[in-house]
Amino acid sequence: MKVELKKFGEILTSRPSGREAGLTIKAYFKPKPGDRIELDFTGVLAMGPSWLDEVLTALRSEYGKERVICLPSENASVSESLGIIEQQPGQQS
Amino acid sequence: MKTQTRSQILKIIEKSGKIRPLELRKTLNISSQAVHRHLRSLIQQGIIEIKGSAPLVHYTLAGVPDLGAVSKWMNARTAPKGPDSLVCETREVFTGRLPHLKSYLRKGLQENLLPLVISTAGEIGNNSFDHNLGQWRDVPGCWFESQATGRHLWICIADRGQGIFQSLVKVHPELADEQAALHAAFETIISGRAPEQRGNGLKFVKKSLSMTPGGGVACISGTGRVFYGEQGEKCVALLDKNFINVQGTVTLMVWELQ
Repeated sequence: MKVELKKFGEILTSRPSGREAGLTIKAYFKPKPGDRIELDFTGVLAMGPSWLDEVLTALRSEYGKERVICLPSENASVSESLGIIEQQPGQQS
Repeated sequence: MKTQTRSQILKIIEKSGKIRPLELRKTLNISSQAVHRHLRSLIQQGIIEIKGSAPLVHYTLAGVPDLGAVSKWMNARTAPKGPDSLVCETREVFTGRLPHLKSYLRKGLQENLLPLVISTAGEIGNNSFDHNLGQWRDVPGCWFESQATGRHLWICIADRGQGIFQSLVKVHPELADEQAALHAAFETIISGRAPEQRGNGLKFVKKSLSMTPGGGVACISGTGRVFYGEQGEKCVALLDKNFINVQGTVTLMVWELQ
C-alpha cells in the first residue's frame, strides 16, 4: 500500500504535524496482513527529520520496521532526514 | 584624498551597520554629489550594497546581513514589540512563512538546495516552539528573517525563550554549562523532552550546512556558541558582533547564491 506524502503538504517539518500525519495514516490506511506500507515522497518539497521521525515511530510501532518502507527519493531533505533518523536509538533498520 | 574619504565611509558603515547618504553628508561635511560619487564607486567595486527604496535608501557592506533589528529585539531588557512581519507568535505563523523562502530561487538559490534551506529553517524555528511553550521569558514566538546579500542567503531565527541549557539540564543534569549543552544539542541525540525520543533536528541542520559548499551555521544560547560549515566562523563572528548576553537562542544560517 502506497502513501503519497505530498497529500499531507509540500513542506513537512514540525513534530505536531508529523504526529497527526502518523495517526491519520494509522487510522485511514489499513494494509492487508503481510502487506507493506510504502511512503512515497514524490511531490514533497521539503521534509525535516522531526516530521518523518513522528510518522515512522507511529507506523513502525503499529506494523513493525520491516513493513514500513521509505521509497527512494532524490530530494536531499528526504535522504538526509532518513539518514539522521536511522542513526537514532530505536529507529535503526 | 578620494581613498581617504572612501575609507572613512567604510569605517562609518562598518560601525553603524548601515548608513543613509544624508547622514554621510553631515558627518563628512561634503557635498551630496561627492557622497554619491564615492558610494557609486564603492558599489562598483563590490564593497558596499544599496538597500531599500527611495526615500529610505541606505548603504551596507556587501555580503554582510543586516542584523540590526533582530539584535535590538533580542538585546532588549523588557518585552520588545517586533514587527508582525518578522516575529512569528505561533508555530502556525512560522510554518506559514516557510514557503516564502521559495522566492530566493529567483535570486540565485540553486533548486536542489531549496529543500534543505526550508527544512533546516523549519527545524530551527520549530525547536523554538517545541522547547519554549509555556517557558517564554516574555515575548512568545520567534524572529524569522531572511535576506540576500553578497551572493548569499542569510536566515536568522531567534527567540526570547529559556535557552538550550535550561531546556536540557532538567533531564540531563550532567551538562556542566551552556557551552556543554549547546555542543551536546548539535553533536548528539539528546532532548529536553524526555521521555519522548527526540533530538535529531540540530544534527540534521549541522550536517546539511556542513556538507554544502559555501554553507554555514552558528548558534548562540547564553554563553554557549557553536558554528559549523565553511561559513560558520563568519556566522559566529556576526552573531558575536550583534548580540550581547543572549538569554534565549539565536541561530544564523548562510547558503550560497549563484
